[in-house]
Amino acid sequence: MLGVADACFLIDWARFRRRELLASLFEAILIHEEVLAQLRSPSAIDFASRLLARGALRLYPWSAAEEELFIKLRDEVALDPRIPSLERPDLLCLVIAYRAGASLLTENLGVLRVVQFHPTFSRVTAWTALEVLEHLVYGGLAEVRSVEDFLGIVSEYCEDTKHVFSSRRMREVVERVRTWLAK
Amino acid sequence: MAGGGESSAPGHAALSKLLEALVECWEREDEEFRELRRRSADWKFIEEQPPHLRAALIYFIERGDRYVAARIAGLTVEEFDELRRRANIPVVV
Repeated sequence: MLGVADACFLIDWARFRRRELLASLFEAILIHEEVLAQLRSPSAIDFASRLLARGALRLYPWSAAEEELFIKLRDEVALDPRIPSLERPDLLCLVIAYRAGASLLTENLGVLRVVQFHPTFSRVTAWTALEVLEHLVYGGLAEVRSVEDFLGIVSEYCEDTKHVFSSRRMREVVERVRTWLAK
Repeated sequence: MAGGGESSAPGHAALSKLLEALVECWEREDEEFRELRRRSADWKFIEEQPPHLRAALIYFIERGDRYVAARIAGLTVEEFDELRRRANIPVVV
């Protein structure tokens, strides 16, 4: 499985006590050089550099065709007041995820909304950290025996990164984990 | 807007209907998220900040957008993220 990470996801995930698990979940995580340039803090740079050194994070070879896709997408969504502002690097990640068939790792509400309705880009699977935690469980990378164990890991993430997941997202993920545990 | 390149009229109508339903859902979510940020924020810390940082933090509470808030503050996204953590404002997704 391939992933594509945006800057906010990496900035937040780099603070998580179980951050090293991310690389085990994906065959490779793709990153655009403009996203890499957004990272400034020692924790995020250190995390990204170590992943790059191990080959777990890879720079994506951006092409002219992808730049055209980006411009089309930008024209379609960037000025819509109902969508939180979208910066160029966020949309680049969305284009990469679409082209590579990768899961998009993002904490950007605007991007999460675009994939809810866009005729082309709704094919992209977008995960927040919560869905990444969920898939760590399915992959046996985070051992949980009950929903409470899973919620404990989510609490660790929320505490380390000062995040809150929406009640809807929590409800949906917890229900899936509960079903998985019951199998 | 999305679907600008779609050719068929029924496709466009269906998309508009979907978007209408989604927008209602987004508005409810936005209100929930805003309330969570307002409730959690350290307002004393926010009031003590210089005007541009205070404005950026208040914008973030209202809109939850780290990029624009960082621009208002004149900081990088990461620097702003550190500030919003000190102000005890969660990212809600």
